[in-house]
Amino acid sequence: MQTSTQRVGLTEIFLTFAKIGITGFGGGMAIVALVERICVREKQWISPEEFLHGLAFGQILGPFSLNVCTFTGHHLRGIRGGLTAAVGFIAPSFLLVSLLSWLYFTYHKLPQLQAALKGTNPVVICLIMVVAIDMGRKQIKGANSILLALLAFAATVIYKLNAAWVLLGAAAWSLAVAIYRRRHCR
Amino acid sequence: MTSLLTLAWVYLRIGLMFVGGGYVLIPLLNHIMVEQHGWLTQRQFLDGLALSQLTPGPLAMLATFTGFRSGGFLGGLVATVCIFLPCVVLMLIIGRNYHRLKNIDLIKSTLDGLLPAVVGLVAAAAWNLGASSLSGLQEFMTLAIGFALFKWTKISPMIVILGAGVVGMLLN
Repeated sequence: MQTSTQRVGLTEIFLTFAKIGITGFGGGMAIVALVERICVREKQWISPEEFLHGLAFGQILGPFSLNVCTFTGHHLRGIRGGLTAAVGFIAPSFLLVSLLSWLYFTYHKLPQLQAALKGTNPVVICLIMVVAIDMGRKQIKGANSILLALLAFAATVIYKLNAAWVLLGAAAWSLAVAIYRRRHCR
Repeated sequence: MTSLLTLAWVYLRIGLMFVGGGYVLIPLLNHIMVEQHGWLTQRQFLDGLALSQLTPGPLAMLATFTGFRSGGFLGGLVATVCIFLPCVVLMLIIGRNYHRLKNIDLIKSTLDGLLPAVVGLVAAAAWNLGASSLSGLQEFMTLAIGFALFKWTKISPMIVILGAGVVGMLLN
């Protein structure tokens, strides 16, 4: 493992992801943006490329917010680290939903949290935008990759395609390009 | 009360099908919870959906709600663990093999070629969220302030998000 020089404690992993699990209102990509901000930029636990690879795997395999946490945790401390990160991330939501469920089934009413969420929404969107811009600057070079990024964007926004299919398509394409280059570089 | 074992089995199966994409989950859970087992009424299911989206966790937090309904706190715990178990295990397996796979040239270049598409998807998520939820001067102002804070300062995103939540509560 590349980061073995600085061994990160399980407690720190747990606390970091619990913090993300508490504040990541907006779910999904908001979580990804938070993990990027904290684990890639601030703590430099994982390189931007490795993080994006993890995100690609995570999107193909369902709940990518959780998957990205598991992947990053595993990168730091193996299976125990991955489990710690996953539990840390889910625990706050679990406790919150349990509390809300209890209130709901006791009083048959939903608590008024919507107002707070209305306030966080725009901020969460910026966080995701900033991540997209910064990653784009690093990762998107040359016509081929600009085209691929635009296609992925359009497929999701205009055609409402599932992210997993978009990524599988992109993987097939970049595999084909890789094979083609290999043959012609020899 | 449904036995915890039944709950565990049902949610493990859902967790396996969950692999592949989040929104497949809604009709699937609806079918299983409401029609098949009768654990929830349609109305309760919809309220639970709204409720689970109030939290940072994935949509599958709905499992906590439905588990809670059929088995109390312990039911919620069992349901939550079981629905997430398959994808966590799969992700751990991928993580274990990732560094080995990355050393294979072809896989490395495929993964790297994929990155622009991932960036495109991140941008698309921001776009979709914005298109469906931004309206009014106040929200666009918050958007501009938030953008400036994230782009040019090192302020912790937690503080910004929580701060915006408090402001939203006060203003609405």
